[in-house]
Amino acid sequence: MTEIFHVMVLTFLIICAIAVAYIRDLLSAVILFAAYSLMMAVIWQQLDAPDIAMAEAAIGAGVTTLLFVVTISKTRRQE
Amino acid sequence: MKLHRIGVAILIVILSVTLAGALAELPSVEQRTSTSQLTRRVIDGGLQDTGALNLVSAVLFDYRAFDTLGEATVIFAAVAGVVMLFYQAPLHPSSIGLSMLAKRSLDSIGPFVFLAGMYVVLYGHISPGGGFQGGVILATLTILISIVYGLETERRLLDPTFKTTLESSAALLFMVIAFGGILTGEYFLSNLSAGFPRGEAGSLLSAGSLAPLNAAIGLKVGAGLALIFYSMVKREPE
Repeated sequence: MTEIFHVMVLTFLIICAIAVAYIRDLLSAVILFAAYSLMMAVIWQQLDAPDIAMAEAAIGAGVTTLLFVVTISKTRRQE
Repeated sequence: MKLHRIGVAILIVILSVTLAGALAELPSVEQRTSTSQLTRRVIDGGLQDTGALNLVSAVLFDYRAFDTLGEATVIFAAVAGVVMLFYQAPLHPSSIGLSMLAKRSLDSIGPFVFLAGMYVVLYGHISPGGGFQGGVILATLTILISIVYGLETERRLLDPTFKTTLESSAALLFMVIAFGGILTGEYFLSNLSAGFPRGEAGSLLSAGSLAPLNAAIGLKVGAGLALIFYSMVKREPE
């Protein structure tokens, strides 16, 4: 069961990473990157690293996304 | 264009093969923890050396506290840079904010976010978490307030000057604790050997200087990130 879960999460991670590189709309890319960070946090937790999981969830999915959104609102939305 | 793409493909193939080779060479987790001297030292003697149940915090704030000081300095420099970069932008704060629904929702979850942040900071030496993670959670609360209630409300609650003072004094607190080690005849950032009380393992007041160092880092990171966000969302002159 955990094996299937790990494969699913890692597949999602790879899809997210490729999509972030390919997508033209920067706001969508930022949101995808937040999803990537959240999945990464789940993986850290599965690897028995709760400290890193918390940092990844709070910084990667939370604050970084916000700062990127603010930056996009100050510049352009399209690549 | 075509040639460029082929070049990229070749590079990716080379990189993948190299990484796969490195991955095959990696020892398993069990193998590493049983053979690495450093890992064994921390896992076996960490509680004895530092009095902290959370060994990650023990490494971050005791064994490698000097590295943490460096990280804190990097964040300090980043905050100072961002604030300086956006210093000229005059403030046109809005106090309108989002809808009533969003405001009432924040009213209900806000105290709990604050509690979670404080818990993660203050119990960093016992349970997973620590100054960095908790500080970011605290900063998220101020960011939520400035989005939901408008920047003006957040500015009235927490003056930017107060945040600057908070960040600097937290950095100073870290240095004062660090120099406490020297004053007692030990080394810079010495923990238990410098006479900080060991306490009972697992209680809030334990692990010597780890808890105050965590609190200092938490305040510093929280105030710093809140300042970065505040400086960035100040409107440009139109």
